[in-house]
Amino acid sequence: MSETKQPIIQVKNLGVNIKMDEGLLTPVRGVDFEIYPGETLGLVGESGCGKSLTSKAILGINDKKCTSTGEILFRDETDKVVDLLKLNPRGKEIRAIRGKQISMIFQEPMVAFSPMYTIGSQINEATLLHITRDKKKAREISLEMMKMVGIANAEKRYDQYPHEFSGGMLQRALIAMALVCRPRMLIADEPTTALDVTIQAQILELMQSLQKELGMAILFITHDLGTVAKMCDRVAVMYLGKIVETGTAREIYKNPQHPYTKGLMGSVHKIGSLKADRLFSIEGTVPLALNLQPGCGFYERCGDRIEGVCNKIDPETINLGGTHCVACHRCKRAAEKEAVTE
Amino acid sequence: MALFRKKTASDESYYMASQWTLMWRKLQKHKLAKFSLVILAILYLGALFADFFAPYGLEEFSALYKNTAPTKIYWQDEDGSFSRPYVYGLKKVNDRKTFKVIITEDTTKKYYIDLFAEGMEYKLFGVIPSNTHLFGLVDEAGNPARDANGKALARIHLFGADSTGACIFSRVLFGARVSLTIPFVSAAISFVLGILLGGISGYFGGVVDNVIQRIIEVLSAIPSIPLWMALSAAIPPDIPVSSMYLYITIILSFIGWTGLARVVRGKFISLRKEDYVTAARLAGVSDLKIITKHLVPGFLSYLIVNLTLGIPGSILGETSMSYLGLGMKAPATSWGVLLKETEDLVSVAQCPWKMIPLIFVIVTVLAFNFLGDGLRDAADPYK
Amino acid sequence: MSEIREKDVILQVRGVSKVFSSKGVNVRAVTNVSFDVRKGETIGIVGESGCGKTTLGRCIVRAIDASEGEVIYKTLAGEEVNFLTLDKKQMKPIRKEIQMIFQDPYSSLDPRMTVLDIIGEPIRANYPKMPKKEREQLIKEIAAKVGLNTTYLMRYPHAFSGGQRQRIGIARALILNPQIIVCDEAVSALDVSIQAQIINLLRDLQKELELTYIFISHDLSVVEHISDKVGVMYLGRMVEFGETEKLFASPKHPYTEALLSAVPVADPDVKMDRIPLQGEIPNPANPPSGCYFHERCRYCTERCVTEAPELHEVDGRMVACHRAEELSLRGFNYDEMQ
Repeated sequence: MSETKQPIIQVKNLGVNIKMDEGLLTPVRGVDFEIYPGETLGLVGESGCGKSLTSKAILGINDKKCTSTGEILFRDETDKVVDLLKLNPRGKEIRAIRGKQISMIFQEPMVAFSPMYTIGSQINEATLLHITRDKKKAREISLEMMKMVGIANAEKRYDQYPHEFSGGMLQRALIAMALVCRPRMLIADEPTTALDVTIQAQILELMQSLQKELGMAILFITHDLGTVAKMCDRVAVMYLGKIVETGTAREIYKNPQHPYTKGLMGSVHKIGSLKADRLFSIEGTVPLALNLQPGCGFYERCGDRIEGVCNKIDPETINLGGTHCVACHRCKRAAEKEAVTE
Repeated sequence: MALFRKKTASDESYYMASQWTLMWRKLQKHKLAKFSLVILAILYLGALFADFFAPYGLEEFSALYKNTAPTKIYWQDEDGSFSRPYVYGLKKVNDRKTFKVIITEDTTKKYYIDLFAEGMEYKLFGVIPSNTHLFGLVDEAGNPARDANGKALARIHLFGADSTGACIFSRVLFGARVSLTIPFVSAAISFVLGILLGGISGYFGGVVDNVIQRIIEVLSAIPSIPLWMALSAAIPPDIPVSSMYLYITIILSFIGWTGLARVVRGKFISLRKEDYVTAARLAGVSDLKIITKHLVPGFLSYLIVNLTLGIPGSILGETSMSYLGLGMKAPATSWGVLLKETEDLVSVAQCPWKMIPLIFVIVTVLAFNFLGDGLRDAADPYK
Repeated sequence: MSEIREKDVILQVRGVSKVFSSKGVNVRAVTNVSFDVRKGETIGIVGESGCGKTTLGRCIVRAIDASEGEVIYKTLAGEEVNFLTLDKKQMKPIRKEIQMIFQDPYSSLDPRMTVLDIIGEPIRANYPKMPKKEREQLIKEIAAKVGLNTTYLMRYPHAFSGGQRQRIGIARALILNPQIIVCDEAVSALDVSIQAQIINLLRDLQKELELTYIFISHDLSVVEHISDKVGVMYLGRMVEFGETEKLFASPKHPYTEALLSAVPVADPDVKMDRIPLQGEIPNPANPPSGCYFHERCRYCTERCVTEAPELHEVDGRMVACHRAEELSLRGFNYDEMQ
């Protein structure tokens, strides 16, 4: 990314806590990242790593039980920076940003639409709220958007109900609904997980072309390393509520440093590559983020851990050059050694 | 969100906890349900040991005490010093001005309240003979407050007396036996009918299913009060009280099973499609085993919830039938029979204590509803 | 695998069809599917949702009854039987030889039974006279084999994560010593790192116990990794069936080509040009005439519109396309992607 550009959003030390009878659940523990205009950041991780809660914290739509800490600095169109976490989650200001400046698409398009209203009227909702009160104009804007996302025969489709749409078409309609206000940032939470491969490919390509056209930034949340490779400029790998490694897609895929990233990359079979007899696999399962002690979250499953260090001290994030950052004691030692020999 | 649902207790006992243990744990988190459970336990214990808790038997009444207010309990002597709690007996006095007979306290003699006092003979659970009651009245010498014929010289009525001069407190306790068990017995009958017919309906499907479903629809389309009236008209009027009890139960369960059968059928159909049932079939497990080991345990908890939520209906059913004179009749005692005393406004205005049984009905119904609510939340600990 | 030896064939699926009818509408979920399975190999069945792959799998294990066709199975005793027409009594000894692993590790285990009971259930049903001690010993052995900690057998399924639950499901399928296991999306519900654990486990077990897998999945990279042969299904029909590498390197059916081009590869340097598919999967209740794929096929001719292509052999592979011989379609370039 060019140096002169200002990030559209900067997440600083974001934490999400949930108080439970059994103790403190910390699904997100100090997440930092920033996204620049026109860029796609992939947030990758397995279920329970906190990636969805992170995205919902940005929009302030997390469950009431969750408390968010840290800062989420959003730069609006007038170049004014606001901390989204300081805004009242049900207040006027956040509602002016939500849906207009930042919008979100979800995994299950079937659930995202109400079965009671036509697709058109649901796409209109955001337009009428943020852009115009004129229903005729809103219809025009919606139709234009529906055409843009490749819904053929948009005029007819406009008056149809969600059950008359197929999964792929519905996801397109969902994207149209999210983009109708031309947001500056789009959060896509597993947008293609529920879709078939051929439909998935269409939707991903659609998102890419719309991004070029509208210049928006995308936060792309997924567990699928294939779609990330296809979609994202930069990748952040999350584990147990922390980002363990970030870098450009090439840095992460070709030169993973964190043991978790390495394991993750080894776990997927790259189609078309020579068949290894066995896949690399990470032993054990993701622990529950309950009453966590200091130390690296990956300690228990790591094959490369340093006793007495990794389970005692939180690893700090170090820069490996360029945008490639990693939070690992082992990597830090290796980097220090290299610096000495040089 | 899976994250919140995930149970976080990590101890081994949680991992080895069966469905019922998990339900119990979840139920305990529901404070209102827990509280209701305590209330219900107290009520049922009261009913079970009614002979002991009630100071008077059902046959003991006194014309002198007709429609009298709750007995006043004194803590202080005439000179103002504290004393053992005592009450006065009643006497008839002629009002000199109006020549009306009025009943007032006979302040000449004190009768003290004694714990575990001697009273009317009874047989606990119908077997253990005893004459000890939780409390009773004794005179200053400590002898029971009775004359040589065993007639009470003074009476203590915590909730006042009814139109026959019987103790409402005792009658509430004895009435609880009927009012609190009829729903259970009728629930048990509904349970069996519901599982059987619902199970047949869900398992066989097709024509059988259709016939049973139509029967259910017809039955649930009939308004309940006219149906009770029709059914109770079929009961011979001169039957003994104990058989009456049985008839009422049957009448109530006749309506109760339909809803349950529907639940069973629905659960049966949805559980049959679960992967673990398919897995059992593929492993060669017999149909009967699949039903008893996978299907029935799978919906049993839902049935219990359904039953619990159905019990208030039965309680109210019994109460309203008796109130309407279609169910239990005096001398048998149930809460509905007790409430029959409050039929006219005059008696309510003059003797408001006769409404006390109503409080018990309301409390019981609420307690069952709250408990059912808690059970419903706990019914599926896996979701 | 190259030499075809008839005696190795353990399962012959012949013209299996399944029609679901409700309210007078007939939906052909599976139409005339045939293929052979050899002992010890893994057959991958891929396709998009609604293509009938799950229905086919369930027909093969007879979780549902097929409308037409035969599944000729060679039992452990060596005789060939039509698995689909056996009656209850004949079925009993043979049923245990064909087992299934399910997609959802949550709904496939009865939450009200301990792990010991879940894994032991098939034994109780088939060997009711086996003493308890012996049964528990067997359960422990099989649990250890699938990587479960045997001290946890008294726990209930809620104590386990998705991956461990899937291991329990595998143990349950294995305990009767089956020959064939149908894996219906067995790893699709799991996280990537857990997926790898389970795939490795399935491979190890296959080697050790000479298992035969029919691996149903929508995930082409998993299928490519685990399968010896792959069948591609579209709208209830098998459109292509052949050895994995050949099929992925040079597909013969236009649908396979389009499907492969859509797969996202976990490598930012690989940019495949997707072959766009027009329209959407047609409604199986009202399938198109001729070749089911013709409306969306870019190589469609007049013949495709009117005449349904039969599955026939082309270049050592079975393809259902009129133009299979003449078309040269694009697949993955194995040499380039190292």
